[in-house]
Amino acid sequence: MKYKVSFFVNEEPVELYVPANMTLLYVLRDMLNLTGAKDGCSAGECGACTVIMDGKPVNGCLVLAPELDGKHITTVEGLSKNGKLSPLQEAFIAHAALQCGFCTPGFLMTATALLDEDPHPTREQIMKGISGNLCRCTGYKSIIEAIEDVASHYEGGKRI
Amino acid sequence: MKDFLYQAPESIKDAISIYQQFQSSAVIMAGATDIIIRMRDKLISPECVIDIKRIKALYGIEFSESKGLLIGACSTLNEIAENEYVKRFYPFLAQAAESVGSKQLRNRATCAGNIVNASPLADTATPLYVCGAVIEAEGSEGKREIPIDKFITFVRKVDLKPCEIVTGIRVPHIPGIEGEFFKISRRHEVDLSTVCGTVAKTGGEYRIALGAVAPTPVRLKKTEALLSGRKLTASLIAEAAELAKSEISPIDDVRASRQYRLDMSALIVRRGLERFAS
Repeated sequence: MKYKVSFFVNEEPVELYVPANMTLLYVLRDMLNLTGAKDGCSAGECGACTVIMDGKPVNGCLVLAPELDGKHITTVEGLSKNGKLSPLQEAFIAHAALQCGFCTPGFLMTATALLDEDPHPTREQIMKGISGNLCRCTGYKSIIEAIEDVASHYEGGKRI
Repeated sequence: MKDFLYQAPESIKDAISIYQQFQSSAVIMAGATDIIIRMRDKLISPECVIDIKRIKALYGIEFSESKGLLIGACSTLNEIAENEYVKRFYPFLAQAAESVGSKQLRNRATCAGNIVNASPLADTATPLYVCGAVIEAEGSEGKREIPIDKFITFVRKVDLKPCEIVTGIRVPHIPGIEGEFFKISRRHEVDLSTVCGTVAKTGGEYRIALGAVAPTPVRLKKTEALLSGRKLTASLIAEAAELAKSEISPIDDVRASRQYRLDMSALIVRRGLERFAS
């Protein structure tokens, strides 16, 4: 059986018929061709599938497709505006906060939600905030520095 | 994941009637963080998933001195960890809620789900055990309250009648209770407890519960009795830590050996009590 769901992805309204046994992650990847969110562990342990749902970061692999009715989803594809990367995306590039890139969309979404909640977190709060995301390349240092950079120079997406 | 019928009722009554239609082939889903994994791993293959997150009556965290804390079945672990009443009157419950999984997971996972799952290592269980929390359930025959230590009966077994749904958790107000939640795990974040526990004090009484050391979380009644009303000296603490080991029956598994769990249980009891001795 298919379920009709109407929701928003990156502020665009979407209407789909989805099977019950599909997760949000695969609605994004296979039905909407938004392949930024990655399938790392399918068990809520790696954070590679992190997206923002109704303002909060969640694991895309742990949300059922029919649950999406009425929800607002932001994915990594929604971070840039008018072709311009977000300050956090720019900071990830400037600090080389990635190597293979597989975990990067998840980190960007977790960190975006973290900075939306508190624009100026401490280093400790940043480390705690990203603890649900695994990176096997960087050793995290450059990722933390990229987030710190935005935390000390931006508020509400504007440079201060 | 096998296909299933997805139902999202908007009232407890509707949820129960759907549950009655499907009986044991239906599963109740709140935060979904365990259910989806168990379906994907084919540990369960329900015909119907009843998502209770559209039921408004199952939300909210309320507190009053007479009624204590009421946690709605759909309240998330992050909501519990950040709640001012929980932090003030049940700080060890806030610590436990925050120790589960990751931030992303806690934005979905619920305390009620953690308890209904009835894993021996459920992090939110031991704070509820020391407070004598009560599980509120509702079925076709009405509402029922079950003390948590009677509710969790074995590994993944709870005292719910067919088609009964957990609607909330009530935690009595215990004036002046202080305590700490301990979690021993291989890594600090996103890991299951190797051993967990809560050590609390109210007046001259101590309340101690441990998880992942027996088929269910356990209150250490003998250890509590030993300590009752006595001044905490180094030798009494050592005696209590030793006695605690006799009240648990840990096993060897992938996370740790039985011996390690015994040693860590004694450590939790000792550290928990030392806080009150100084």
